[in-house]
Amino acid sequence: MTPVSAAKWAGLAAILVVPALLGSGNYAYLVQAGGMIGLYMILALGLNFTMGYVGLFDLGYIAFFAAGAYGAAICGAYNVPLLIELPLTVAFAVLLRLGLGVSILRLRGDYLAIVTMGFGEITRLVINNLDSITNGPKGMEVPPLQLFSWTLSGNLGYYYLIAACVALGVIGSRRLEDSRVGRAWVAIREDETAARLSGISVNEHKLLAFTISAGFAAVAGMIFAHWIQFVTPESFVFWESILIVSMIVLGGMGSIYGVLLGALILGGVPQILQVFLAGSKWIDYRYFFFGVVLVVVVLFRPEGLWPHKRRQAELHEEAA
Amino acid sequence: MKTAGGGKGAPLLEVRQLSQHFGGLKALDGVDLDLSQGEIVSVIGPNGAGKTTFFNVMTGVYPGTEGAILFNGEAVRGLPSHEVIRRGIARTFQNIRLFSNMTALENVMVGRHCRTRNGLLAPLLRLPAYYEEERRIEAAAKDLLGFVGLLSFGNHLAKNLPYGDQRRLEIARALATEPKLIILDEPTAGMNPAECERLVELIRRIRDRGVTVLLIEHQMRVVMGISDRVVVLDYGVKIAEGKPLEVTKNPRVIEAYLGKECD
Ligand SMILES: Nc1ncnc2c1ncn2[C@@H]1O[C@H](COP(=O)(O)OP(=O)(O)O)[C@@H](O)[C@H]1O
Ligand SMILES: [Mg+2]
Repeated sequence: MTPVSAAKWAGLAAILVVPALLGSGNYAYLVQAGGMIGLYMILALGLNFTMGYVGLFDLGYIAFFAAGAYGAAICGAYNVPLLIELPLTVAFAVLLRLGLGVSILRLRGDYLAIVTMGFGEITRLVINNLDSITNGPKGMEVPPLQLFSWTLSGNLGYYYLIAACVALGVIGSRRLEDSRVGRAWVAIREDETAARLSGISVNEHKLLAFTISAGFAAVAGMIFAHWIQFVTPESFVFWESILIVSMIVLGGMGSIYGVLLGALILGGVPQILQVFLAGSKWIDYRYFFFGVVLVVVVLFRPEGLWPHKRRQAELHEEAA
Repeated sequence: MKTAGGGKGAPLLEVRQLSQHFGGLKALDGVDLDLSQGEIVSVIGPNGAGKTTFFNVMTGVYPGTEGAILFNGEAVRGLPSHEVIRRGIARTFQNIRLFSNMTALENVMVGRHCRTRNGLLAPLLRLPAYYEEERRIEAAAKDLLGFVGLLSFGNHLAKNLPYGDQRRLEIARALATEPKLIILDEPTAGMNPAECERLVELIRRIRDRGVTVLLIEHQMRVVMGISDRVVVLDYGVKIAEGKPLEVTKNPRVIEAYLGKECD
């Protein structure tokens, strides 16, 4: 076994075993922090399709996390079983995103950023004001995840569920990246006109990546709602969208491991600081550090901390 | 692949009274052009004559204001670009447009997109259809890289290739779409004489594959050397057409070029 693969297995084992050992001890909050980081990973992996592969900025992505969470809450209120809730919620988020996608197909750059940002905020305001369905700012109670007669409760259970979803997300992303559609996405990011004139139906492929992003966010939102068992519009503020975008920029656009690293750092460090700096005056500065880190990375390592490496093919000269 | 429409001798491409106006500017004004299969035809004309605009209308970048483009007997003016490409027209750009952060091989593999079918399911589940198609895409792309002499650079990022190689990579990507007609916008721009030579030879080999070639070219040596026919544009109007030598003797052509800066 090479040192690298040994380190990989050790890391994987730590991710799976350590939380169980922490159980209910002094460090139990780490399991919850791990679960939250995992949710950010799912979100970052999801947004990576839109932003990393296709290169479209999206400052309103958290709206689809909200759609997932409220989907779970509303289904919970009507006792809809999970096997119906899941497709229903994902379909709702995907349709919502298709609506947004179709209307911004022609936009780029700043316009795209502004419109998606507006969409995110409008979504939050709608949730806030749709009292009859969402109970407005007071929020909704959500039952824990229930499959037939089996109920998932406790941080550890959700931690493992989230870890499994991250693993699925990574596998799915890797497989799509290395495919005809995955190449088309990156081609669009690199040069939309050249992609179109190389025979790619650009709009279709943009919408495809867009909707996949919504699927990831919806699943993350559902898990979040069932885990915390409570949703309010406050959880889906603009800042969260910025945070996810930052994870992708920090880690490396279009890089699966970069995006995971970005989620680990930006999703994890504030939580750790919160615990360690609790009561100290430094806690007020944590977002300042955060901003500094981001600016430094963008200036000195614009491709991100763990940039994507293009696949290397075997080339045999005799084919010439 | 579809077989060529029409009988023997029917033109591959018929352009009729094609115009493209930008506000008051008639960038293209009633241009006619016929191309038969297997020809190499050059479009020349002073800077700003409308040559690139002509290519842009032909490939759906601009919709065109009036006129018709029949390709294999089918009207293609106003179709979205990717639909035009699918019907068998491919192109390169005056300013190279590669997918900079993809490898040379991947650039050409992207060109196979419109001739392949895998969606999401086959790659996600790693079905046999996925492996089978990927293998074919990669083999075809390697073949074309070899054809333009870039196989050993297959794993290099496109942006790291020397200028002349980038031009040839763009041609390989265009050929990957299996065109019947390839249109090249100033393929020798910025090339040294040795690179030019290689490119001329490449264009001939493209024609020998059965692909018709339409190119915009400024270097008269290149134009004279490879063109079966030359078309001259000036202010969006076709002012001459014929064999290379005839055209250069045409007084209207000489007048169009006199006192004008050639780019
Ligand atoms: N998108 C556009 N909008 C307005 N004018 C354009 C556009 N594209 C080209 N033109 C104008 O059309 C004319 C022909 O340009 P072009 O086709 O690029 O010339 P050439 O390729 O022969 O040098 C020029 O005057 C140019 O400024
Ligand atoms: Mg031009």
